[in-house]
Amino acid sequence: MENVVELKNVTKKFKGFSVKNIDLQVKQGFVTGFIGANGAGKSTTIKMMMNLLKPDAGEVKLFGLDYKTHEKAIKERIGFVYDGNIFFEGLNLKDIKRIVAPAYKQWDDTLFYQYVEQFKLPLNKAIKTFSKGMQMKASLAIALSHHAELIIMDEPTAGLDPIFRRELLDLLQELMIEGNRTIFFSTHITTDLNRIADYIAFMQNGELVFNQSIHDVAENYALVKGGLNLLDSDTEKAFVHVHRASTGFEALTDNIKAVKNTFGDTVVFERASLEDIMYYLKGGIHHV
Amino acid sequence: MFNLIRRDVILQKRQLLIFLPVILFFIIIDKHPAWTFLIASIFIPFNTYAYDEKVETNILLNSLPYTRTEIIASRYLGAIVYMLLAIGVTSLALFAFNKPFTMIDIAIGSSLFLLFAAFTFPLFYILKPGHITMVVMISFFLLAAIGPAIVLFLAEHLTAITDFIVNLSVPVLYTGATLVIMVVYVISWVTTTVIYQRKAF
Repeated sequence: MENVVELKNVTKKFKGFSVKNIDLQVKQGFVTGFIGANGAGKSTTIKMMMNLLKPDAGEVKLFGLDYKTHEKAIKERIGFVYDGNIFFEGLNLKDIKRIVAPAYKQWDDTLFYQYVEQFKLPLNKAIKTFSKGMQMKASLAIALSHHAELIIMDEPTAGLDPIFRRELLDLLQELMIEGNRTIFFSTHITTDLNRIADYIAFMQNGELVFNQSIHDVAENYALVKGGLNLLDSDTEKAFVHVHRASTGFEALTDNIKAVKNTFGDTVVFERASLEDIMYYLKGGIHHV
Repeated sequence: MFNLIRRDVILQKRQLLIFLPVILFFIIIDKHPAWTFLIASIFIPFNTYAYDEKVETNILLNSLPYTRTEIIASRYLGAIVYMLLAIGVTSLALFAFNKPFTMIDIAIGSSLFLLFAAFTFPLFYILKPGHITMVVMISFFLLAAIGPAIVLFLAEHLTAITDFIVNLSVPVLYTGATLVIMVVYVISWVTTTVIYQRKAF
């Protein structure tokens, strides 16, 4: 299986914040959801993938190529969507297209107008008059019109209403039918991912906690519920984080087998949602 | 790269509508032709910078298949291209209004423009975005107002240099000035490229 994006031991330090030792592979032909709380380092990582930021240490490769020698070839194959509007506010979509299109060898005008029609985008109105959802659609139309193999999106669903969010996800799903496309997108709305993601990469405090297929995540993590009397410093070791309440405890484990061995039938297992995992891991008490 | 230069016109469609009236204004109030050439040249390149100091613009340009070297090169080459176009348009306007001008006016106007560009372009990448365009435009008008006085003052007091320049033959003076301007422009270009390579967006 080929990796479209490969980060090896990537580190980037800022004042008071750093992204440390990231090893991340994004697999070709799949949708990878990139999750983590605000400020976990998702945008920084995406910026390094786009070469907007250069890592202090480590290696960033896209399509097996590095930015030093193949910057243009790499970007030719990427479609990008960012959280905010990066297009010239005062311009209309037609003029923005006239600026962006000639940058790409593979730009497809017919495809662009097809998306414009599908998204019902006005061509002659200034971008700044667009709603958040329309700006997103406009970015998407531009990102999709040069037959990009890899689509990188930073928080594309943030600030969108639920209906459009769903439309967007459906659209991404449609895009995936077309062969070897890869989508990598960050979000903190984890319910988006259950619908379309094949892989989940999870960042926290500048570190990559895991990058697994969505099935593995479901299999590896579980919520465990039981009475408080079952907990002691020994048995707690099987949990990533424990939440205590007067009625009993609820805990996240990444070692279901060990929990089964320790507690047997005295506890209840539940499927951990991505949100549960993010929430409990954020609790921060790492075992071992 | 040509696309990056052409971008300026698309961006400034509306501003271009006031380009001609501004030039005509300077012609009608009988400003020195060299001054009119200078103002006309500054118009497009510096207007573009009003856009390019924004972070979003840099994120966009850097996400497209361009290298950072190309982005800066398009600025420096674009400035020359638009200067030549502006000189053409201004010459036509002067001609139409029957105002006499010489090649020397064009040479002075474009030399001043290139020098001004060489000193200010790097600033757009060093200073924090927000008010750079304002700062640059204000310093331009300040320089224009008190610059000649300073030059005269220096000419009177640094007689050694004045004598040296006055004693140069005309061809030597022109070639020398052209060379100096080219060197300054290239140094500025290289400096800006180095600064831009290291920037994070």
